[in-house]
Amino acid sequence: MADAIAVPQVRSAHSGFQFLRLIPGVLLLAAVGYAGKLLEQNVGTYAKAHHWTFPNIEYVLWAILLGLVISNTIGVPEIFRAGVATYEFWLKAGIVLLGSRFLLGDVLKLGGVSLGLVAIELVVAITFMTFLGRAFGLRPKLTSLLAVGSAVCGVSAIIATQGAIEADDEDSSFAIAAILALGALSLFTFPLIGHALHLSDHAYGLWAGLAVDNTAEATAAGALYSDAAGKLAVLAKTTRNAMIGFVVLGYAIYWASQGQAKGVGNKAAFLWQKFPKFVLGFLLISVLATYAFFNKEQITALANLSRWAFLLTFAGVGLRTNFREMRKQGLRPFAVGAIGEVVIAIVTLGLVAGAGKLFGF
Amino acid sequence: MGSEARAVVIQKRRGLSLDGWAVLVAFLLALLVRVGIFKHVPW
Repeated sequence: MADAIAVPQVRSAHSGFQFLRLIPGVLLLAAVGYAGKLLEQNVGTYAKAHHWTFPNIEYVLWAILLGLVISNTIGVPEIFRAGVATYEFWLKAGIVLLGSRFLLGDVLKLGGVSLGLVAIELVVAITFMTFLGRAFGLRPKLTSLLAVGSAVCGVSAIIATQGAIEADDEDSSFAIAAILALGALSLFTFPLIGHALHLSDHAYGLWAGLAVDNTAEATAAGALYSDAAGKLAVLAKTTRNAMIGFVVLGYAIYWASQGQAKGVGNKAAFLWQKFPKFVLGFLLISVLATYAFFNKEQITALANLSRWAFLLTFAGVGLRTNFREMRKQGLRPFAVGAIGEVVIAIVTLGLVAGAGKLFGF
Repeated sequence: MGSEARAVVIQKRRGLSLDGWAVLVAFLLALLVRVGIFKHVPW
C-alpha cells in the first residue's frame, strides 16, 4: 500500500461529490466489521456443536483479520479507498461517545496516573529513539519523525510534525510505514504477552495505551484483551494524544533553531491548532454523564454507539494494512522502530507494574 | 494517495478538522439519544 503511506496533499473538490465517494468504503467497513461480529457469534457455536476445540476469537480480531486478508490478497479497489480512510473519523467519534462510560472522578484519577506515566514514557521514548536513529545512521529528520511517532500517537503525530519541521515526504512515508507495521504486530503480540504475564485488565489497558503507537491499534489491542482493558487503553492513549502539541512544538523550535524549519510565531495558537479536539469531546461527554445528563439506558445506548464506531475502525485497521507495500519502505527505519518499540514496551510494562503496586491495581 | 492522507484531505475540504467533525457527530448522536429519538441501540 505504497499509496497508504503517501503524504497528504490538499485538492479542491465538490463536497457533495466527495461525500458520495465515501459511501462505498464506509459500507465496506460496515460489512467487514459486521462479518467479524457474526463470525464471533457463530464460529464458536459451530465448533462446539461439532465437538471441535477452537479458541474464542473476539469480533475485534475477526474484523482485523478479514480486513488484512482482503488488503493483502485482492487489495482494496480504488472505489472503496476514500471511505475506508474514514476509519479514523469513526475512531474519534467512538472515543468521544466512550466518554459517557467514565465518571469525571475516574477520568481525573486514572488520567492523573496516566499523565505521570505518559510523561516518563515520552522522555524515555524520545531519548532512546533519537539515540537509536543516530546509531543506525538515519537522517536526523526521519529520526525525529520516528521518535514522535513512537512517543506520542503514531501517524497523526508524524503528519503534524512533518509540516512543523519541514521534513521530506520520503522521511514521513518511511516513518509512517514503520509505525503502521509495528502497530499491526502489536495487535497480535500484546494480548499474548498480557495473558502470559496474567496482567489485570487495568494494568494491561494502561500498558497498551502507553506502549502501542497508533490510536486505532491501541484501542484494538486493549479491546482484544477485554472490554475493561479496552476502556483503560483508550483513556491512557487519549492522555498521550493530549501531549501531541507540546512535543511537536518542541521539535519545531529545535529545528527552527538549527535553521532548517520556519520559526513558531504564536505558541498558544500553535498548541491549540495541534491539540486533538476529540480529547475535549471525550471529557465533555464524561462531565455530562457524571452530572446525570443521561440516564442508565441512555448511557448503554451511547456505549453501544461507541462499539459500532469502533467496529468500523477495526475493519479499517485491517483494510489499510498491506505488508508487501510496507516491506518496500526499507529495513533500517523499521529496525530502529522495532528495537525502540521493544524497549518502550518493556519500560512501560515496568512503569505500569510500579504504578499498580503504588495505586493498588 | 493513501488512507492517512485521504483523511487529512477530507478534513481540509470540509473546513472543519477531522476531530471537529468526529466531535460534532458524536454530540449529535448523544443529543438524539438524550431526547429519545434513539431509545435503544442494539449490540
